Amino acid sequence: MSLTRRRAIQLALSAGALLATEAACGKTNKGTTDSGGTKNTTLIVENSFDLTTADPGRVYEVTGGMVAHAMYEPLLTFAGGDVSKPVPLLAKSFEASADGKVLTLKLDETAKFSDGSAVTADDVVFSFNRVKNVKGNPSFLLDGVTVTASDPQTVVLTSAKANPALPYLLPTPALGIVNSKVAKAQGAVDAEGADKSDKAEAWFNANSAGSGPYTLQSFSTTTEVVLVANDKYWGTKPVYTKIVVRNVTNSVQKLDVVKDTSQLALDLSPDQAKDLGAAVTVDRASTTTTFFLFTNMNPAISPVTSNPKFQEAVRYGLDYAGIMSLAGEGAVQAPGMVPDKLLGALAAGDSLKRDLDRAKAALAASGYSGQEIPMEYPSDITKNGIDFGVLAQKVQAGLTEVGIKVKLSPAPVATALPNYRDGKEKLGLWLWGADYPDPSDYLAFLPGGLVGLRAGWKAGTSPDLTAIGDQAAIETDATKRASLYQDMQRKLNEVGPFMPLFQSAQISVMAKSVSNFVYNAVWTVDFGALK
Amino acid sequence: MRNVLTWRPRPYLKFVLVRLGALVLLAVGITLVSFILTNLIPGDPAAANLGQRALSDPAIVAAFRHQHGLDQPLPVQYGKYLAGLLHGDFGTSQRSNRPVSDELAEYVPATLELAITAVVVSLVVGVGLGILAATRRNSWLDQLLRVVSLAGVSMPTFWLALAAFFVLFYKLGILPGGGRLDPGLDPPPHVTGLYTVDSLLAGQWDIFGNAVFHLIMPALVLAAYTVGLLTRFTRASMLEVLGNDYIRTAHAKGLPGRTIVFRHVLRPALVPILTVAGLAFGSLLSGTVLVEQIFSWNGIGQYAYQSALNLDLPAIMGVSLVVAVIYVTVNFVVDLLYGVVDPRVRLQ
Amino acid sequence: MSTPNAAGNAVADALSPGLKLRKNRRRVWRPLGVIGLVVLVIWILVAVLAPVLAPHDPLAQQSDRFLSPSGAHWFGTDELGRDVLSRVVYGSRVTIPLSLLLVVCSLVIGAVVGAAAGYYGGWLEMLVMRTADLVFAFPAIILAMAVVAALGPDLTNAVLAIVVVSWPSYARVARGLVLSSRNADYVLATRLLGASGRRSLLVDVTPNVAGPILVLATLDVGNAALLLSGLSFLGLGVRPPAAEWGAMVAAGASNFDKWWLGLFPGLAILTLVLAVNFLGDTLRDMLDPRTARAVIQ
Repeated sequence: MSLTRRRAIQLALSAGALLATEAACGKTNKGTTDSGGTKNTTLIVENSFDLTTADPGRVYEVTGGMVAHAMYEPLLTFAGGDVSKPVPLLAKSFEASADGKVLTLKLDETAKFSDGSAVTADDVVFSFNRVKNVKGNPSFLLDGVTVTASDPQTVVLTSAKANPALPYLLPTPALGIVNSKVAKAQGAVDAEGADKSDKAEAWFNANSAGSGPYTLQSFSTTTEVVLVANDKYWGTKPVYTKIVVRNVTNSVQKLDVVKDTSQLALDLSPDQAKDLGAAVTVDRASTTTTFFLFTNMNPAISPVTSNPKFQEAVRYGLDYAGIMSLAGEGAVQAPGMVPDKLLGALAAGDSLKRDLDRAKAALAASGYSGQEIPMEYPSDITKNGIDFGVLAQKVQAGLTEVGIKVKLSPAPVATALPNYRDGKEKLGLWLWGADYPDPSDYLAFLPGGLVGLRAGWKAGTSPDLTAIGDQAAIETDATKRASLYQDMQRKLNEVGPFMPLFQSAQISVMAKSVSNFVYNAVWTVDFGALK
Repeated sequence: MRNVLTWRPRPYLKFVLVRLGALVLLAVGITLVSFILTNLIPGDPAAANLGQRALSDPAIVAAFRHQHGLDQPLPVQYGKYLAGLLHGDFGTSQRSNRPVSDELAEYVPATLELAITAVVVSLVVGVGLGILAATRRNSWLDQLLRVVSLAGVSMPTFWLALAAFFVLFYKLGILPGGGRLDPGLDPPPHVTGLYTVDSLLAGQWDIFGNAVFHLIMPALVLAAYTVGLLTRFTRASMLEVLGNDYIRTAHAKGLPGRTIVFRHVLRPALVPILTVAGLAFGSLLSGTVLVEQIFSWNGIGQYAYQSALNLDLPAIMGVSLVVAVIYVTVNFVVDLLYGVVDPRVRLQ
Repeated sequence: MSTPNAAGNAVADALSPGLKLRKNRRRVWRPLGVIGLVVLVIWILVAVLAPVLAPHDPLAQQSDRFLSPSGAHWFGTDELGRDVLSRVVYGSRVTIPLSLLLVVCSLVIGAVVGAAAGYYGGWLEMLVMRTADLVFAFPAIILAMAVVAALGPDLTNAVLAIVVVSWPSYARVARGLVLSSRNADYVLATRLLGASGRRSLLVDVTPNVAGPILVLATLDVGNAALLLSGLSFLGLGVRPPAAEWGAMVAAGASNFDKWWLGLFPGLAILTLVLAVNFLGDTLRDMLDPRTARAVIQ
């Protein structure tokens, strides 16, 4: 790169008019390491991949969501990191019916796909039906929702029951809109039976067909994903012309970002993020991932853990302060299952404090006679730098002080998760990441709910709690919803088998050259907004 | 003296055919063992590949099982796999939904590049040091080399990798930390998948230099064990030959020491050395799993590790099969080389 | 012998270069062997006396996390505030007995199976040696990973996994040695005198095979320790919170700049394996008459 051009880019950046320079430079910028201190037009991002696919109809993992979000824009989005209020994107306006069953969205007619064609209601119908019918991880998002196009610019979403959570769900990366003409030509199918007939995943893993600021250049589930700026982007053009997302373990991420080998590291643990020096900026934000412990409610699985007194002993015997020291700066102790950024979250003051005397008294009252209780956890998961193995040892040490003998029983997810799903774990240490930023996602923790059943909590065992949940699910008034969800969590903390521990902290470390970074709990980072 | 022209091809042909037959049996055995083992595991591949919500939706789990043929009886599944294998189809990864053959084509060259480099380094350094030690038997140098080579085989690879990484990259910054190329550099056009070879073919000298630069640390770490091993065996096998009467005769004839070492000693000593080198190559292939993780080297070690954790059966079978075939092939080539090195083998 | 087994024979040869049946123990002072023996004895003492030697409870999360080495904690503290020195000391109680156990199991299984194959030949030999080939060609660590993934990370499972992958080398060597001594004159003589096959295998062949196998076993203790700690490093070995060296190095790997986490357990593995290898190497030399009397220049 010649000196003059480098300087030109520098000037252009400071003037906020990169676009013109880029056009002048063409796409020859390879963005190799730049010693001159100017802004690099390639951004190197490091992440521990959990990537399986780049197909927007199937994507559900963290890395996948981040990448898909850059390529496929949803109807509604969240501004920056605020997930409490959906705002327009491809839909310029939206309106819910009074009964909460019908959501009508008007599309922005200026929106264009990366091939220059306009985004229409048909594309939305195709994309949503495909998500439903390929029967992938995100299919549940649209359970009971019918998608229709009333005219080329209007989409109508009709739900069987009142669905106040729907606008919060639409910004999910899996609900990004796909160019249906291109997708169909590549074998994509939206009709029922698409789980067998859809053949487009391989194509989506090598190409993209969305309206986002970036398009896919190359994709590997283990090495790196390369995105390049969409030169037909209809919104504000992104600053970086190329984004390289590399799969790197977090200890190496730390070294790379400090040495400016990369500009953004996304998986540092709280311990690794200490004392990084002045060369980098550290952004800490609480996530919507809640780590929790549960005691199985089913006496057939364990007469010990299903005893309410034993549960009380665990609840008040956990070493919350010690656990928080592992969770690190930026993490928050979870007062309830619903994370603090969402409507209906409990206040920090509601969080439990350790009470060893109460725990010991409860344990004595439970009739526990010192038998070893296995605690299962997924040994191959590290989330936000929190290793389940280390956390489990901390939990174990806390309970040992109460007099509860816990035997750690780690297993890879493939072995641990079926046990958990089938409700066979006596004690389980797991996490729940919000599928979408709305408290209705946490109805799963009620008796008979998806997670409730995993803790051996059968439907009908706590009728008043179920009643609160049923009402919360269909309430459309925001204030009433919030208070219903808070009631639900207080009650859960009283009679439920779940002990919420903490919401982990997303620690993002970036070079000083990177600005405008905001962590978003749904898609981690919006590459298009980075400067 | 040992003329290649004295080769007699006929026993070799039979030898090759028997070996090929054994290879086919081995392939069946390997896949069968992987298949049985993976199915004995109480885990559920769906659990490793589906999200928490999807996993509790029977329709989605059923779709997943159907898509990957897991809803069929086990013998049918295995039969279909073998039938596919005959056509070069390794099945589809449950994790990524991509053909396993595509994934192998991506990861195998990365590991081969690393393992070949390590083996070449080991052969050159290990055999060299072994000769040195044998010819200066019981000298201080021999003792030193003994300690060094034993240290090489005693070194926990993963720890050495970590130490090298800490010192050479983190503290001193003289070698790159991880990956096959600097981030932001595009790999050379795909021909062999070995970046060093492909970059040369494309005439991209900068990429070649970068790829070599990235190879140094992981290859040396990986070679530590095999250098030690080869040094020990070269020394031992040289000493054994040196004890033979004809060497004494050669000395008595007044032949110079160098001639004796290279013409009369090294050649017969090469048989066990080659064997060990062949075996070492096999151990390098699977041993890379520990090194690849630390150096972010996306080879079959990492792939195997991920696949085993995810119970991704087609991937496990594919990677085991490839490693086994490479291993058997290398050892087969070694056996063929015996004939070149040692005519007694040819006469059998 | 058909040529396809050339590799197998060569393995036996290569693993025990020049081993002959005649024992020629020469009393030579061998410094490396002595060093190895001393270090090994020290490690065994450490393992036996761990409760006395360890300054702290290896499981107690009692101090601040990540303290660097100091007078109070010579090797610093780990990610849960446990004393690293105490954990290294207690780690010896895992690695040392298990490595020995591993080798004994592999040796017994491998030697019995291999000797039987060599002596009786026929379909038994075919079956055993082809199985050994299969295991040899199967990437060891993948097999071990699969076994551990199947049964969950636990030491017994790791041990089982390693035995599964390591018995064939003994089987091959034992078979090779039995084959070479089966036709020795004295064995033929006893057979002619009417001794049964099993008797001649036990009485005549075993003593001659035992020495080389023992040397191989000594050298293999180090390999077993390396493989075991490697599995633990991958998170497939010991069940937390028990202290194990490989798992401790793994903790060091994720907290890079805390060098003391990985350095000390790594050195522990290295010194133990090195000691065993010094010893095994010396034993091999002592058993090996040909290299011992080699005439050089």
